[in-house]
Amino acid sequence: MRQHETDGGARKAVFAPVDNRARVDTVVRRIGDAIELGLLADGEQLPGESELAGRLGVSTVTLREALMALRQQGLVTTRRGRGGGSFVSLPEVPADDRLRARLRGWSTEELRDLGDHWAALSGAAARLAAQRTEPADLQPLRRTAEELGDAGDAAARGRLYGRFHVELAAAAQSARLTREQVALQSEVGALLCLVLADDAYREEVAERHRAVVSAVQDGARETAGTLAERCVRESAARLVAVRLTL
Amino acid sequence: MGVSTGLAAFATEPETRVAAQVCGALEAVFEAVAATRADTAALLHRAAAEGRRPVSRDLAALRPGLHLRLRHEELVSGAGFVAAPGLLADVPAWLEWWQTGAEGDVRPLLLDLDPHRSAYSDYTHWDWFALPRDTGRRAVAGPYVDYLCSDEYSLTLSEPVRIGGRFAGVAAADVYLRHFEAAVLPLLRGLSRPARLVNARGRVAASADPAHLAGSLTKGPDFGGLLTAARPGTYDGLRLVPCRGVPLVLVLA
Repeated sequence: MRQHETDGGARKAVFAPVDNRARVDTVVRRIGDAIELGLLADGEQLPGESELAGRLGVSTVTLREALMALRQQGLVTTRRGRGGGSFVSLPEVPADDRLRARLRGWSTEELRDLGDHWAALSGAAARLAAQRTEPADLQPLRRTAEELGDAGDAAARGRLYGRFHVELAAAAQSARLTREQVALQSEVGALLCLVLADDAYREEVAERHRAVVSAVQDGARETAGTLAERCVRESAARLVAVRLTL
Repeated sequence: MGVSTGLAAFATEPETRVAAQVCGALEAVFEAVAATRADTAALLHRAAAEGRRPVSRDLAALRPGLHLRLRHEELVSGAGFVAAPGLLADVPAWLEWWQTGAEGDVRPLLLDLDPHRSAYSDYTHWDWFALPRDTGRRAVAGPYVDYLCSDEYSLTLSEPVRIGGRFAGVAAADVYLRHFEAAVLPLLRGLSRPARLVNARGRVAASADPAHLAGSLTKGPDFGGLLTAARPGTYDGLRLVPCRGVPLVLVLA
């Protein structure tokens, strides 16, 4: 069920202001990722140009260029006149191919940096959680690790992977780390679908997540941090490996 | 301030008085929650009297009351009713939830509750929902990072709404921890020993003790048992004073 048209939950991050290096690419990537993740649905109308530009914190010129790029990628169609506007449209290309096209927009250096940032966030969160967690706090993490083990389609796996790391930051009792992690997941979430489509790797991640939960439960600060870092570094490395084949 | 003013007047020990004042501050929030519960129960009964299941649109009738409470109840930054899945005829799940924005404006929380699109669509696992549902009583959830609604470190006070003996959802209010701290820190600092407030699981909710900050755990004492017994106790040199009526314990080092 969709409660309202445009805002909320993980979707909040989609329309949060982009940083001041904000360029067309950033907007294209953010909206494109949101579409791949299913945060924006096929056929959904995007907010009007001036509203969207305002919420993303970019000029209307930048936004128009971004929409043009999205149109070229076939992710957005624009209809004119009454009832017109920009609409999400999923092209008839397999999702995997679209994601590969998106990954091509990342350099290996950017992916490496993304992995570093993610490892810093999740490692710090795991260490703090090991000190600050009591058993009831671990229920959401356990549930997410189990659901990831059962999740069928790649998009659901990407969302659950992200949710685990958001919940880990929340278990650290840090609102800042949690906000950072939510923002990072809006960037990396769609790309992760590419490596999580492999059942064996999906199971490996679920297993790594279970190991993080156990270490946090034991109050094993360093082990929890190291395991969380290893988990996300491995995913980033796999993304780099896929990128190098493109 | 709530039911505890009487207790405070008779209290002699400073820590007993502070515990009663903390309780009083949260009782004012619980009064706001009770008002939302009463409004919700009334509108759900009206729908039942008309021989129909309630729909999401019916809950719009809660808005004037929610806005009033958000504007006038100093500690309250979010308020609303969260429906039990299956309660409403037109949607599987619903939050009628309003929050105070950064500029003091009141605005709705817009959540994506479609499980095919959001990993956060199921809210029934959160303490603020599960505790009142499972115990039938009011509850204080947190402190916890509320990444679902506010992105803030928060306490959520909630109580069950029941219709014809059936659980229909929870009425609730959010208190951001920074606001709670502002309200109780002057009380804690007035005590002669370093003082902190911890929840039933030992999580520090507010502290004037730099060695034990909010969010950390105080391990050892059975705070749940102490709250059930509702009597002060000691543990390894700590003095423990339960706040009556709210699940917080005043801990003096």
